[in-house]
Amino acid sequence: MHILLAALLLASVQKPNVKVVKLVVEPPSLAFSAPGEGRKVLVTGLTGNGEKIDLTSTARLQPVGEAVTLDKDGFLVPAKEGQAKVIITAGGQRTELAVTVSGLGQPRPVSFIRDVTPILNRVGCTSGTCHGAAKGKNGFKLSLRGYDSDFDYRALLYDMSGRRFNRSDPARSLMLAKPTQQVAHGGGQRIELGSRYYQTLLHWISAGVPYGDPSTDKVQKLEVLPSEVFMTRPGLEQQMLALAHYTDGSVRDVTREAIFGSNTPSIADLKPSAVLSGQRKGEAAVLVRYEGKFITVPVTILDPRPGFQWTAQPQYNYIDQHIDAKLQRLKIRPSPLATDAEFLRRVSLDLTGLPPRREEVLAFLADPADSRTKRGRMIDRLMGRPEFVDHWALKWGDLLQSNRKALGDKGMWAFREWIRKSIAQNKPYDKMVRELLTSNGSTFENPPANYFRVTRDPKVAMEKTTQLFLGVRMVCAQCHDHPFEQWTQNNYYELAAFFSAVGIKPGIDSDEEIVYEKRENYDVKHPKDGRVVSPRFLIASLDAPRVPTDRRREALVEWLTSPKNPFFARAIANRVWSYFFGRGIIDPVDDIRASNPPSNEPLLAALAKDLTDHGYDLQHLIRTIVTSRAYQASLAANEWNAGDETNFSHALPRRLSAEELMDAITLATGSRPKFPEVPPDFRAEQLPGPHVGVGGFLDLFGRPARESSCECERRSDMSLPQAMNLVNGPTLAEALAHPKGLVAQLVVAGAPDREMVEELYLAALNRTPEPKEYDTAITYLQKGPSRASRAQDLLWALLNSNAFLFNR
Amino acid sequence: MLTIPGRRGRLCDCRTRREFLTAGSVSLFGLSLAPFLAWQKAQAAAAPRLAGMKGFGAAKSVILCFLQGGPSHLDIWDPKPEAPSNIRGEFKAIQTKVPGIWLSETMPMLGEQVDKCTLIRSMSYTPEGLFNHTAAIYQMLTGYPPDKVSPSGQLEPPSPADFPTAGSHISKLKPPTEPVLPFVELPRTLQESGVIGKGGAAGFLGKAYDPYRLYQDPNKPIKLDDLTLRKEVPPERLKDRFLLRKGLNSSMPDLEKALKSYALDEYYEKAFDLVLSGKARDAFDLEKEPDKVRERYGRTTFGQGALMARRLIEAGTRFVQLNWPAVANGNPEVDSWDTHAANFKPLKNLHCPVLDRTLSALLEDMHQRGLLQETLVVAVGEFGRSPRLGVSTSGNTNAPDGRDHWPYCYTALIAGAGISGGKLYGASDQTGSSPKENPVHPTDLLATVYYTLGIDPDMEIRNHLNQPRELVKGKPLVGLWS
Repeated sequence: MHILLAALLLASVQKPNVKVVKLVVEPPSLAFSAPGEGRKVLVTGLTGNGEKIDLTSTARLQPVGEAVTLDKDGFLVPAKEGQAKVIITAGGQRTELAVTVSGLGQPRPVSFIRDVTPILNRVGCTSGTCHGAAKGKNGFKLSLRGYDSDFDYRALLYDMSGRRFNRSDPARSLMLAKPTQQVAHGGGQRIELGSRYYQTLLHWISAGVPYGDPSTDKVQKLEVLPSEVFMTRPGLEQQMLALAHYTDGSVRDVTREAIFGSNTPSIADLKPSAVLSGQRKGEAAVLVRYEGKFITVPVTILDPRPGFQWTAQPQYNYIDQHIDAKLQRLKIRPSPLATDAEFLRRVSLDLTGLPPRREEVLAFLADPADSRTKRGRMIDRLMGRPEFVDHWALKWGDLLQSNRKALGDKGMWAFREWIRKSIAQNKPYDKMVRELLTSNGSTFENPPANYFRVTRDPKVAMEKTTQLFLGVRMVCAQCHDHPFEQWTQNNYYELAAFFSAVGIKPGIDSDEEIVYEKRENYDVKHPKDGRVVSPRFLIASLDAPRVPTDRRREALVEWLTSPKNPFFARAIANRVWSYFFGRGIIDPVDDIRASNPPSNEPLLAALAKDLTDHGYDLQHLIRTIVTSRAYQASLAANEWNAGDETNFSHALPRRLSAEELMDAITLATGSRPKFPEVPPDFRAEQLPGPHVGVGGFLDLFGRPARESSCECERRSDMSLPQAMNLVNGPTLAEALAHPKGLVAQLVVAGAPDREMVEELYLAALNRTPEPKEYDTAITYLQKGPSRASRAQDLLWALLNSNAFLFNR
Repeated sequence: MLTIPGRRGRLCDCRTRREFLTAGSVSLFGLSLAPFLAWQKAQAAAAPRLAGMKGFGAAKSVILCFLQGGPSHLDIWDPKPEAPSNIRGEFKAIQTKVPGIWLSETMPMLGEQVDKCTLIRSMSYTPEGLFNHTAAIYQMLTGYPPDKVSPSGQLEPPSPADFPTAGSHISKLKPPTEPVLPFVELPRTLQESGVIGKGGAAGFLGKAYDPYRLYQDPNKPIKLDDLTLRKEVPPERLKDRFLLRKGLNSSMPDLEKALKSYALDEYYEKAFDLVLSGKARDAFDLEKEPDKVRERYGRTTFGQGALMARRLIEAGTRFVQLNWPAVANGNPEVDSWDTHAANFKPLKNLHCPVLDRTLSALLEDMHQRGLLQETLVVAVGEFGRSPRLGVSTSGNTNAPDGRDHWPYCYTALIAGAGISGGKLYGASDQTGSSPKENPVHPTDLLATVYYTLGIDPDMEIRNHLNQPRELVKGKPLVGLWS
């Protein structure tokens, strides 16, 4: 009867043609060593064609003998010491699970850290919107997500003079009355009267609220089953189990207490009871969190895609191999190469920040060499241009926050010059970082010392350094252990201690400052207890150098730039990659953490290795990226890759940055804008800082104020004020009407219609028009009385078109 | 106290909202309709308990008269005739149209309109850290205390990491349905000392949600460059351009498809509408108002600003912030509310006649036009002023008849959106020093504003680092509707 029911259920959930040939149970056997602890197993059906289907929810478990019983939640609970087996039937198949029960006579003593904090975390007491908030809630404060059980224990015991417990009548304790809402509770009812959690809390209070022994009661390791989820189509489900391992070898099933979260619920969503539900094709990560331990489970969901056939595209280098491998697995067909004209515009913008000029376009299109050869030559040529330095100096100026407000006028120009030189010389990246982080002396004479003028506090210097060079955001850990990551508050202060001896004093000039190494009074103190914190590396297991007390920054750089550092090369490779593809392999690029996994790990690893193998040569990295086929792919999607935005199967259009847009308008219209306080021929990309033209066009289009080193400070979204500015604002209007601009020149020269149209297209879209485009444009030109204003309209429309506003 | 059991659960694990926010926080959509619809859906799903509650979603728009500088509550709307003279001050209390509500004699015209508003006399908070205007303005308008203070003791200037000002949140969450500007700030910026505009920007929402800043004197002819068609581009020509652009884009369909999420066409259409329809521009045109109305509001910067605010709201703008037009840091000759150097003479001769005339006109006019029913009107400063004369509470020096900063107790005027008129909410103690009942934190006032617009004040938002934050940590004052 039950089997029939299970089969019926199965038939309704799974497709009828799926035939299970074998069952696999995880874990393969169970051992109970204490009373009262329930366990669950995963039941997976293997089908004839090698698919795995989760049958946990429909499987029938039949204990044989009296050793274990099944509770109402479907957990096996120990009842009697001895050996036993459980018969499992699912999907028409049958298997057995061996069970051992012991230790029922010695119940484990109840403890705050092992038993109570998981409940406080699970029901939300310690969440950031409740008592875990920085100031607590309604006078009761717990640590955020229970990261500090010591603090929470004391808060419960001693706040309000211990009124939270009623020792003579534990069931009437405030700690039980509040969450069960027997008395008014701002957070509503969190625990049901008489429930499992209620019983645990009651038991704990009755036992005299013991804290427990951290050496045995703290979780040593968290394990999640399955360790990887792979679904062959959306609509399937997968039960997940969380197991906590303790130092004494015992294991507890904490599936009901652990917090499961999906980083992309639209792909893989979590339903109650830790059931993962496949929503649509794609990849996601499930982050499982329990008592300060974290695990990330990668999830891949395919769809059947009948009719898909892999058609090989040429592979230009290892990037394409890694991308193709992933695409083939996900049944995504990459788009073919972009046209030569499209490639030229894209690569010119990405390498130099400028679209190609008309002569370049015509010469490139006319070049009879095969496409791959001439594209390679063009890449070399562009990387040798002075605009290449302008473009990359702008990016580094953003990241290093070169601005007049923080550095003074002279400091800003000196820093800018140092950045430009570093790029022009192709200074190895590790050397550049070393010069920045170990800098001392006058900010005028040794410009990299400006790094510390922007970040004057050791904590700020540390946050910036980790975000910029490791891609790791430590900021959350200043006040509490990072909620979604392994970083702790201790890590935060140990890292900050590397910068604690950085001193800054006034120089001789009014604007000058001197960075120096302090000899005394530079200790970083832990906010919790005021103890002096010694510098320690984030990942201590690495072959880390010793940290001499007077050379902390040198030691940090040593660790940072070691090819073995798991973050450094990956972070920059990922960041540089994002400049060419519009998104990182890990994205956002400066938020690298376990719960934000790379979309293509082998690709990122290969890029990082290539970079360290080549002595941190960033130009090598850039060249490798732009010579890949993947970079040169068309943005036109096909039926197999239309929904893909993370696997680089086609190009993603990116709005021109504020500076690129300004310079492109200038170039296309032949106008000459003037920026205040800089030499008259400066382009927007050459400006020394965000004070130039503040509040104007550049700021409207998202130029960063250089107040943080977060990539997010530069905005590339579109907004109504931007559209208004382009439609009716002065920048474009004045550029179009410039008396010596392109339109004026063409009109004065008496250019015939066809030439006029061709020149406008070349200027704005960097290509020649299609026959139909000629027709439409010529008709428009001939329609009105004033040729100049008709031509202006055409150019206006071209400059407001998607094809101009975006790098495509 | 407003707590509904069970709801917190969803807040704490916030999956539904996160999902919505992931979609919205791509932030490519900006002011487009897509996130609004998604938001409405999410709201309906997330806050069934709010829908149908009194006052929730009762207003379409807001006029915030922000009386920066910190007006003296005792000398305007919370007189203390029984208090000793060094607290009571020079003004008498007067009876108003509503028995039992007394105002200072400086507000006779408002006394005639008191039946249309509620006075919250228990505004109160204790500053965290800084005790100056900028910090207080930031607290009032963003709901969060500022955390970055420069070495000079002043706040840091506005930063992209700042919490968004209320109007920015509202223009993002409730974009207007008409071709008008969503959020207008006039006639001058928020300011104290050298720090300009702190607490008045979209911060981490991005500049797209900054207010449209009309920093001109509405009492004089104003210039609107980007809303006014350029001379050389008459409407016909602009329409030609619009069609040309459309044709160009549709000739490159692959690109058009790839850019769908940017909602470019929506922005362009809106921009064209704004420029062509002239609706937004007309709203600024006070020449269209009869002289009688203009006189009623008062021919002052503040008065004409209030009239402009009404016109903007009528046209469909969501949020108008009318900042008090003078900041002078205690200069007794200027009508700044920061009356350290002299309190009574300037209040009597400069400030109060303007405030009295304008506020009373705004309430009367909005009421007569039926606009008050669907608009929330708030008048409040960043704090009140010290009940006792001539003492220093902020470290500033004060003249013997000056009053210093006082955030511990002050008054806000709130009206419209079905809020009962002729009422008092909360009360101050005998000297106006602290709330006697129903203390209202600035975050509660903000929560009320969001609530009135149909926005759940408890909703989760994401900052520039994608960290979850509460929209505001306050509770809406649902008692205003009882």
